Amino acid sequence: MAKKVHDDQRYLIALLNNEVALVNEIYKKCAGKVKSFVLFNNGSADDAADIFQEALVDIYNQAKYKGLQLTCPFEPFLLLVCKRKWLNELKKRAISPVTKNEDDLLHIGEDTFEQAEALALQKEQANLFLRAFEQLGERCKEIIRWSMKGEAQEKVAETLGVTYGYLRKKKSECMASLVKLIDRKND
Amino acid sequence: MTEDKILWTAQYVEGDLSDSERLEFESLLVHDQELKQYLADYYDIHSSLQMELANDVGRAALVETLRSLNTEHFEEAASPKVLKLNHRLKWISAVAAVLVLGMLVWAPWNDDLYQQFNGAPQMSVAERGAEKTDLDEAAALFNDKKYADAKVVLAKLHVADARNAMISYYYAVALVETGEVARGRLLLEELFNGQSVYKYDAVYALAMSYLKEENRTACKFWLEKISKDAAPYQKAQELLGKL
Repeated sequence: MAKKVHDDQRYLIALLNNEVALVNEIYKKCAGKVKSFVLFNNGSADDAADIFQEALVDIYNQAKYKGLQLTCPFEPFLLLVCKRKWLNELKKRAISPVTKNEDDLLHIGEDTFEQAEALALQKEQANLFLRAFEQLGERCKEIIRWSMKGEAQEKVAETLGVTYGYLRKKKSECMASLVKLIDRKND
Repeated sequence: MTEDKILWTAQYVEGDLSDSERLEFESLLVHDQELKQYLADYYDIHSSLQMELANDVGRAALVETLRSLNTEHFEEAASPKVLKLNHRLKWISAVAAVLVLGMLVWAPWNDDLYQQFNGAPQMSVAERGAEKTDLDEAAALFNDKKYADAKVVLAKLHVADARNAMISYYYAVALVETGEVARGRLLLEELFNGQSVYKYDAVYALAMSYLKEENRTACKFWLEKISKDAAPYQKAQELLGKL
């Protein structure tokens, strides 16, 4: 059964519409907590700001392109996403964290973990798809890159100097090659 | 067969099937679990790539907002350590601070390209009767490079007529010139999304705002968007060459 969308979905909508007042509310609620977590774990205020910004952009992306619907409260969700990001960053820098993995987050609901996990997974997957995309031939890459920009497809065809019909045909072929590439990797 | 289904799915989604082929695909879709999975995968891959490749102006605007909120909420100043400086050190740091400020204002490293290419735009307003309107006043101030004063008048005009592209453009330039860069850029990006005659002037102004900050990557990003038949195209190409 589909879960009920949480009222805090409004924060996602605020990110989508760049509603400064509500986005500022997110900062007021969460920025201090993320900052102390990062400072406590060998990071700087700049690191905390980067992580925070990245997390919010990831959430924006998931809401816009993947239809993310929040079924848990926003604050613990964002905090969890930030913490995971920072722990990953520490791993990259080969520093072991002071805080043990999420042991201070016991009061967080199951849903929040699931949603944070899904967000991380989808981001990872998008990277994988992008790497497969880079392996396509130049013409295919050009066609896909242009048609993903968000402009009207008729205009894309005009820019590329082809007919609309040809663009559709070529894009289907190129996308099919991409799906096959990705399929083979997963096998 | 499997591979054909993948291509078929792509053709279906991209609208590259005839009416009868499309109906055939849809009727098969009802029972064929494999085909259903291909279709779901296709949408998944397509939206992920779009997320990575889209030229998302909304996202760019959000990032601007986040950047300005970051400086407000993540300032290092919160660190509790206060060092007591001795007198000599105080003097040295004061002199150093003045020097650094001086360098920032003078900014010899970006003087050349920015000065050369920024060529402040001139606001021209059609003559109408003898009565002096707010618009005339704004234009006079703007052309005198009194951007702070021009901004006040333009803000009023902009509130009264937010859809007026000319006012939006000059208001945005005045905002950028007076340090309200994030707000200015938001307006310029809106113009870029629209279809007014200021579309590419707005893009050029965006590029300039980044050049001023020595952010060459962002500057190039915007310059490359200027269409061949737009007025600032030549200038943009010349600058791209130098960057």
